[in-house]
Amino acid sequence: MIRQELARLAGSLFADPIPDAPDAEFTIAPKTAEDAAAVLGFAATNGLRILFWGGGTHQAMGYRVEPDIIMSSAQLDAVADWQPEDLTVVVQPGVRVTDLEARLEQGNQTAVLPEDAGSATIGGVIAAGISGWRRLRYGPSRDRMLEVRLATGDGRLVRGGARLVKNVTGYDLPRLVAGSFGSLGMITEMCVKLWPSPARLAMVRVDDPERALARAYRPLALIETPAETVVYLAGSEQEIAAQVLRVGGEAESGHRWPEPLVGNTELILRVEPSATSMWAATMRKIDVDFQAAYGVGEIRFVADGIEPEELNRWRTSVERMGGAMVVSRVSDDFYLDPWGAAPTSVGLQRRVKAAFDPRRVANPGILPGGI
Amino acid sequence: MSLVADLRAVLGSDRVHSHPLQVRVYNKDAGVTSGEVLAAVLPETTQEVAACMRVAKGHGVPVVPRGTGTGLAGGAVPVEPALLLVMTRLDPPWEVDHLSRCAWVGAGALNLDISRDLAHLGLHFAPDPSSQAACTIGGNVGTNAGGPHCLAEGLTVAHILGLEMVTADGDVVVLGGAAPDPVGLDLRGVVVGSEGTLGIVTRVLVKLTENPPAVRTLLMTFDEIEHAAATVSAVIAAGIIPAALELMDQAMVVAVERFLKADLPVEAAGILIAEVVGLDEAVAAEAAIIERIGREEGATSVRIAADEDERALLWRARKSAFGAVAQAAPNYYLHDTAVPRTALVDVIKKIYEIGDRYGVGMLNVYHAGDGNLHPLVAYDANEPGKAEQVKAAADEMVRVSIEAGGSLTGEHGVGLEKRDLMHLVFDPIDLDAQARLRGAFDPNGLLNPGKVLPRGSRCSEFGMLPEVGE
Repeated sequence: MIRQELARLAGSLFADPIPDAPDAEFTIAPKTAEDAAAVLGFAATNGLRILFWGGGTHQAMGYRVEPDIIMSSAQLDAVADWQPEDLTVVVQPGVRVTDLEARLEQGNQTAVLPEDAGSATIGGVIAAGISGWRRLRYGPSRDRMLEVRLATGDGRLVRGGARLVKNVTGYDLPRLVAGSFGSLGMITEMCVKLWPSPARLAMVRVDDPERALARAYRPLALIETPAETVVYLAGSEQEIAAQVLRVGGEAESGHRWPEPLVGNTELILRVEPSATSMWAATMRKIDVDFQAAYGVGEIRFVADGIEPEELNRWRTSVERMGGAMVVSRVSDDFYLDPWGAAPTSVGLQRRVKAAFDPRRVANPGILPGGI
Repeated sequence: MSLVADLRAVLGSDRVHSHPLQVRVYNKDAGVTSGEVLAAVLPETTQEVAACMRVAKGHGVPVVPRGTGTGLAGGAVPVEPALLLVMTRLDPPWEVDHLSRCAWVGAGALNLDISRDLAHLGLHFAPDPSSQAACTIGGNVGTNAGGPHCLAEGLTVAHILGLEMVTADGDVVVLGGAAPDPVGLDLRGVVVGSEGTLGIVTRVLVKLTENPPAVRTLLMTFDEIEHAAATVSAVIAAGIIPAALELMDQAMVVAVERFLKADLPVEAAGILIAEVVGLDEAVAAEAAIIERIGREEGATSVRIAADEDERALLWRARKSAFGAVAQAAPNYYLHDTAVPRTALVDVIKKIYEIGDRYGVGMLNVYHAGDGNLHPLVAYDANEPGKAEQVKAAADEMVRVSIEAGGSLTGEHGVGLEKRDLMHLVFDPIDLDAQARLRGAFDPNGLLNPGKVLPRGSRCSEFGMLPEVGE
């Protein structure tokens, strides 16, 4: 019955099941924002659950959703409107980050999205609140969000923000959607702020990350791994030369970002930036692979072989300081709560969820507190 | 018990004002409208704010938070008789973490005090509205305040890491913190800029930005304002995002010069202030590029501030613009539209045409780098019919901005002033979504009611959409 009705509404959008995606009765790839809203509205009326799917790179995060429908952004993949002089681009969610950045680079611009995005889509990266290494200089991905069109959990098509680099007209829905893990609905289009690509790139290996952070003036990133600690610089020739002089050491041209971590279980510590070095030292001591972003307070590490009790102790300790330990990737035989303790604002968050997704259709329960 | 008696039970009598003469000082902000204040309270702690909120809720009385009242959009002006929460005394000792480059400060802390008092750490708070010597952080958060240096650094929202807030129920919640990417829905973004309609912000974790080792400030003059605007576009196109790119037209320069005696070039049709920051070698190179572009676009002179005193004077001139006008004319009406940078030249031309057509005196100052316009109409409200004429001209200026792809406000906020223009930029369904979001925070409509969204924004109020769930 449901199948027939859904086929009538969106039969032409039915797609093959996506490898790696959980089992679901339907896989649907809308071609327009209106399609997406119609399917969400149908799901709301019929009590169906939808899991949104982009490139599948961050699906291991959050509580499991048992979907009736997988909604893929594969056919919403247009770069709709690039205005280089305004430093804005309007894109649909299914555009791959690497494709978008390659295209922008032709005009010497960047959206400063994750550097090692793999098959990730911009919709997925924004929904998962993932930022690139360069956030130390440019801020998190959410600061790129100028305008959003959202197909809400109850099938409305809503626009927030504007295609302007500066604007405070109305509540900031674009930033609310960033990091919301699809819990409010599906992003069907967004306008993103761009930056000019710097003329030159360089990296310098350093011994003392904290000294380097204090010496360098607003570097792009400062990352410690077991192998090396590197300051990433960018700018004019004069700026790079002056930076290298301040930081000390030999400059190497270009940027080589850390390779994605290899391991079954990858966790992310989010701590106050001043605690980064302490956690990096802890990782070194127990000899696990890690990437620590100084000035940001993000430490990614491979947790294979670390006892869950130990991890829970770490979690308690960072949560007490207002931080978190979240699961980025996990093996089947390893259970760790994906988020840890729910924040104190969870009551407000539930009501915000209900304002957009009253029937709990959109990635239900993926966030803490059943949101 | 009465509202006032209940408030006095919480705060004592000294910090609860209800006499008409006492509360009158709180009935307006720096804009043009005023409202009715039932009582004004001066809480000093978060717990006192929460207690006042619970008292207000018990009496069903709306609450309007207010800093020092420098807002221009009527955000702190009550629409219906309300309890004013005057937040200026909410200034507990700051908790500064200079290694993590952030600080918890009270909502009542003054914007400029943060940068001044933390200068010894080599850090500052980047948003710098013209009123920064007088405005509070709580107000900056409420309006998502801007300022010239938001061109490179972004608005206030990009500099708020965490918030402590009293909810409509009188509970205290903390959003975000020094650690990146709070778990769950990130509510910080919608609370910043919500003008007190989603909660009463009591403490703020501000991000601190390193002071630049070197600064170059250029003053360029032009025979035609369009050449100045073209310079702005050309600088950005060259891949440079200066720290600030500010444009003032001749009328404004003359007004400021009369007020400040800063030796400004009053003969020029327009001046452009450009500032680049960074390492010494880098700013020298960037300043040279900007100078070259300016000359190519027709700059008649380029002066680089020789020292910190000259630079400070230039910025004082820029930030005195509104004060200078206030001295020169009894009344003024100021807009704050934002347009795509590429539309700047065109919109500026149209705004002058509108001013000419209505015969109103106009002065202009623009955050040109990010397309934020501040056309300012100076007038005397005692002149019969003048206020109506000014309003009609101003409305047309808003319309040409929106037709060019712009929005109502770039940094001042919607408040009361632009509330009823929201339908020009949002469809009913968009406003409905915003109203639902607001309802999630404030189901009883007690938090600064009548601001931001026009009445009837909930579609269900006029039967446009079936209610789903709830």
